[in-house]
Amino acid sequence: MAPSGLRAVCLVVLLVCVVSPTRAQLIPIKTIPIAQGDQFQIFPANNLGMGSASIALADSLADPFANPAMGTRLTGSRFFGSPTLYSVSRNAGGGRSLPFAVLTRRAMWYGGLALALQQVDPSRPPQPDGLFLRGGAVQVFPNSPDPVIPGPDMRAHGNEYAFAMVGRDLPGSKLSIGASALWTGLHALDGVDLLYAGSQRVAQDGHALDLRLGAVKAWPGERGDRFLEALVLHNDFAATHTVTYADQYWDPGLQIFRQRARIEHNVDQTRTWGLHFKYTVPLTSAGWRIGWIGTLNRSSHPKIPNYELANVPAIPRDPGYTTAFDLGIGLSKVRGLASFGADVVFEPIRSYTWAAAETPMSTVSGDTLAVGAKTIENHFRFANALLRLGVGRDIELPGEKKVLGLQLGLMLRSVHYNLSQQDNVQDLQRRLTTGWMEWTPTWGLSLRFPEFELRYAGRTTNGAGRPQSTFQVGWVGVDVALAGGTLLAAPDGPLNLTHVKTTTHQISLSLPLR
Amino acid sequence: MSRHVRTLCILAVLGVLACDDPAPIEGVPESLDAQLRQQFTSWNVVPIGEAPHQARAMVALGQALMFDKILSGNRDVSCATCHDPTQHLTDGLALAVGTGGSGSGPARTLGVGRAFVPRNAPTLLNSSIGLPYIFWDGRLTRFGPPLPGVILPTTDLLQAQAMLPVLNRREMRGEKGDLDVFGNPNELAQLDDTQSNAIWQGVMHRLVAMPGYVTLFNAAFPSIPPTSLTFQDMGTAIAAFQTDALMKTGSPFDRYLARDNNALSVQAKRGGVLFFGQARCSQCHNGPFLGGRDFSNSGVPQLGPGVGQAAPLDKGRGEVLNVQFYEFAFRVPPLRNVELTAPYFHNGSFATLESVVKHYNDVPTSLRTFDPSTLPASLQGSYHGDVGTINAVLATLDGRLQAPLHLTDAQIADLVAFLKSLTDPAARDLSGIVPASVPSGLPVR
Repeated sequence: MAPSGLRAVCLVVLLVCVVSPTRAQLIPIKTIPIAQGDQFQIFPANNLGMGSASIALADSLADPFANPAMGTRLTGSRFFGSPTLYSVSRNAGGGRSLPFAVLTRRAMWYGGLALALQQVDPSRPPQPDGLFLRGGAVQVFPNSPDPVIPGPDMRAHGNEYAFAMVGRDLPGSKLSIGASALWTGLHALDGVDLLYAGSQRVAQDGHALDLRLGAVKAWPGERGDRFLEALVLHNDFAATHTVTYADQYWDPGLQIFRQRARIEHNVDQTRTWGLHFKYTVPLTSAGWRIGWIGTLNRSSHPKIPNYELANVPAIPRDPGYTTAFDLGIGLSKVRGLASFGADVVFEPIRSYTWAAAETPMSTVSGDTLAVGAKTIENHFRFANALLRLGVGRDIELPGEKKVLGLQLGLMLRSVHYNLSQQDNVQDLQRRLTTGWMEWTPTWGLSLRFPEFELRYAGRTTNGAGRPQSTFQVGWVGVDVALAGGTLLAAPDGPLNLTHVKTTTHQISLSLPLR
Repeated sequence: MSRHVRTLCILAVLGVLACDDPAPIEGVPESLDAQLRQQFTSWNVVPIGEAPHQARAMVALGQALMFDKILSGNRDVSCATCHDPTQHLTDGLALAVGTGGSGSGPARTLGVGRAFVPRNAPTLLNSSIGLPYIFWDGRLTRFGPPLPGVILPTTDLLQAQAMLPVLNRREMRGEKGDLDVFGNPNELAQLDDTQSNAIWQGVMHRLVAMPGYVTLFNAAFPSIPPTSLTFQDMGTAIAAFQTDALMKTGSPFDRYLARDNNALSVQAKRGGVLFFGQARCSQCHNGPFLGGRDFSNSGVPQLGPGVGQAAPLDKGRGEVLNVQFYEFAFRVPPLRNVELTAPYFHNGSFATLESVVKHYNDVPTSLRTFDPSTLPASLQGSYHGDVGTINAVLATLDGRLQAPLHLTDAQIADLVAFLKSLTDPAARDLSGIVPASVPSGLPVR
């Protein structure tokens, strides 16, 4: 695809990013159609090949990572390994993850531990097919005595994940409660280095802590159980980006253009509280279930980095907050060897960010804004929609309890938002209404034997791009849920996006522990 | 699987097939900062680094030399006479008044029988910044042909520039038969114009005869005995002083270049957007100095005594290169501190920034309708406003200036605000660089 010529002018790029490999309940936000690396698709899932449909379709592998109380469905102890890799087309980035998990049950108690190591390649501007530009030291002008400024860091960097979960069934009440914690050590978030246009390298250092307290209540019925899930979560994300720029300047002594290093430290913080409910009931028709979800996220952004897009220094976006909802309905049918799931989610989001004056500022009307006064205010109103659907079919193989499973699915994410930006210095108001659609075909294959289960799932996300040349953004999987980090930047200049695809492959092995 | 499920899947696939690339987000005006910074990239406008360190002794010697009238044949003008710190290192005059004149600054008047220097005295502010062309016609450059009639002993433009005014009769040397301020014969004026080395040696002879200068030279050039000093060494010292004291690049615009978005007012930003856009100023005024790297025939009215064979006209760069294309073209000046250095153009024919911008708004009309009454009375008679001259100027008018800009008064005001943002506050008052006295004992003012 030729560059889209996207001009994201004077709008605040808002990307509430999911810094957790667990699913659902944290709502991602983005304001430009930027391709997201699938960095956080780590832990195994049954329904990955079915478009990740999950409202009415149970996912025994993934559900305990999303809501610890869902560990109540564990019937024994299992070991999981789910090596996952993703790549962004046109050599624009990629990563590899190697997670291991153990889920176990003892009488009323159940729990789990998971560890994952991850390598994320440096994000690169999309290259023409077949061409990969290696980074190196900054090119300096002939005869320039400049010290060599370090070039782009082309090494892969690692992240670490540690997950623990414990829960208990309360006898006689069909109620189960559980709690989980996920700690993430972050040194490489896909795409962050491309949020600083013109930078030479970006060193990342941060962490995310995700705490969850969940409950599941079941009501037995003739056609099947009804379930009510509830979850409270808190996600705390903090990272520092140490950004090295090579600034060009004129040296009047040597009378040549030179470059000098400039290092900036950008702090990125977001705290999110979330509340999530899901209720599923069987329908009258055999095998059919219906479910509803309601999710509320309230995020505060105490400090947002001064991203620099398209070589335009961003107006500092100091604080802000976001309120996001997911209202969804899901339908599923599991009958015999066939399964079907579909989710439709409406996602209204409101976000408010602003820039604070660092020094007294004169406005165009002659007033003076005091230090700390809001110089620019951004009001976003999103009306996003999400469709997930998938089908699965098991084929019994000759022999006892040997099953081959096939899955196909699709995810559609529609983003639509209005931005109202008030510039209190220039006394200008800008309005923008825009939207786009991303679509992700998914597929899966499984082999289930009494001794182990082997699954492969893949997906390719289309409909988004990555900035060319000096600016590029990449980010997290769309359906991976728990949010933490926030990206707020102000691209006050034109951006060019090149269409890329993000493709993820996951192979998961599940072994029963006896 | 039910028929409904199949239908749903088919609809979904069709929906996907209908999807295309990311939809462009358009229609929102760029912020002033975004527009400006994009233009900086396009026009290679980058910050200026700090001036290189200069030895104190060298700067002290250069300061004394710049303000000492001993360098002039008649001992009546110094470099600072036309590059007056109180006038921001120019003189406030349209055309400079050299030796034989009286008074200072804009009040300076011609001496009896003297003629104006044919061009405006350019400011020495930021003269050490690395400009590739020196003088209005760019005759001193490392790129072009050598200076006619003069063999310069240096390739350093700043040194060379300091060496040339003492050769010029109108500026500093004087006319044959002149007596200096003490009534003594002007020995420098007696030399032929081709004897540049002898003139320089003559000046050095004056200098090393004074103990004060011997001390200063010894401190600045400790390894060179005074008898071996050359005028080039004097040029070195003046260049050191210019570099040390006259670099003024701390304007709001420079702070804005250094990533302080609050450094410019909204009006100045609007003017900047015009400067790099509709007003087309940056087509000439670009690069780190916002000019200084090009020549342009800006359709400036002809006035003054003229230069060279074209006199009483001044064909500028065309006279140096003898190329018709460059007739009436002059160096595009760098614009930092331009607010302080009126009047403008190579002959000071426009007194204010507003009048300059209005001239550029429609150059042909401005030239044809130029009102000589806006000139100082002493120059009104030397205005060449005949149709032939105007047509000659317009014949080689820079192609970038032939179409009107259609700027409104408000836009002109914005442009002027931007131009004023190029002023380093430290350049407003340069009285601190004026020494109390100089080794010759001649009056500094």
